[in-house]
Amino acid sequence: MESIKKIVLLGQFGVGKTSLLRRFITNEFIQDYKTTLGVQIKKKHITLPSGNTMSMIIWDLEGFSSVTKTRPSYLLGSNAFIHVFDITRPVTYYSLDEEINFFKKNYPKVLLRTVGNKSDEKNPKNVLEYLKNKDIDIHGVVSAKTGEGVTELFMDLAKNLETL
Amino acid sequence: MVEEDRLQLLRDILLIDDREVAHAINQRIEKISETLEKQEKLSEKVNPIIEDRLKVFVSEIPTSLGPVITQTLKDEIENSKERVVEALYPIMGKMIKRYIQNEIKLLSETMNKKVNDTFSVNSFKRKLRAKFTGVKESDLLLTELDAPTISEVFIIQKGSGILLGNHSNTATVDKDMISGMLTAIKSFVEDAFEGGTQNLEAIEYELYTIHIQNFHTYYIAVVISGSYSRSFENKLENKLLKLSKSLSPQISILTKEAIDDILKTHF
Repeated sequence: MESIKKIVLLGQFGVGKTSLLRRFITNEFIQDYKTTLGVQIKKKHITLPSGNTMSMIIWDLEGFSSVTKTRPSYLLGSNAFIHVFDITRPVTYYSLDEEINFFKKNYPKVLLRTVGNKSDEKNPKNVLEYLKNKDIDIHGVVSAKTGEGVTELFMDLAKNLETL
Repeated sequence: MVEEDRLQLLRDILLIDDREVAHAINQRIEKISETLEKQEKLSEKVNPIIEDRLKVFVSEIPTSLGPVITQTLKDEIENSKERVVEALYPIMGKMIKRYIQNEIKLLSETMNKKVNDTFSVNSFKRKLRAKFTGVKESDLLLTELDAPTISEVFIIQKGSGILLGNHSNTATVDKDMISGMLTAIKSFVEDAFEGGTQNLEAIEYELYTIHIQNFHTYYIAVVISGSYSRSFENKLENKLLKLSKSLSPQISILTKEAIDDILKTHF
């Protein structure tokens, strides 16, 4: 059985949303930083362990200083949000609790995955400890550069979306 | 045997072979010198070797020199964009000019045919239409020549931008991505101008128009080529309203294939 799901990648400027998407779609990494303007949309067709297939329509949104400023119309009809922060820049995870609450309050039915990117640049131990102390629950850390955890993130999301 | 004879004998035994060898070497050197000095003989020897090397070189060009040449060309074009444009401009200009001349010639021929056909029923109808609608007969004539045609129809879920159904007369890139991007553009425009609950109704790009008709949970985007007139828009709107009557009550339960089939019957 084939299903179609809309997944939105959100996060502050330069956290690596487009790089994560590129790693997942084409298994590539490009060092150059080019800011996303508006939105870009990509599609990935995957086969789930159950044998069902899923078309993931992924909206990669431009970064804002806070995800709460994201254009609401881009989030309409979403099945999941991938909320990305950069473990090397504290400014991108200092207000993570507010941002997560924003999603839970305004989009309670949408599956949320919060992930820290750039695990190749810094040991995530301190960041994870900081978030744990603040009682912030995240999915984990990934690296768009090395590919660590990227496919697992999307596949886990797809498996969860299948059962919803 | 005297001392002198003995020495001679010894010299003969020791040197006779060397002399023969020296003679043979001399002969060989003379032959090589002759080959080197006479072009014909040298060519006879060297040409097959050069030909073989050339064959190998030519066969290796794509792998050994190809990437270097491609990269050099890319760099050259990148570094001298303006000069490339300068060089291409006259050629492009000529091509465009020739194309336009040809199109105008075709248009002129077709118009002449239509005008000459003064006493036909269609001509009479056109004249009447021009009289009653106030639109110039020449404009009506042009509209007839560039009649609008429907290239694609998309049924798209509002908000999510997920493609619910599609009918296409032409091959285009990924339709799911088109419906996503159309929705993103639509959302952007509707947000950007703060028009309340107003909806984007059309997008125009050169020879095409995308007519957008909004319904409660979905919208229909129709790609039209040719002259998009008000009368055609009116007809299209009626057609889409008729389509929505059969779609709307069951849109949430219909599969994509079922919606595609419904679209086939309408377009």
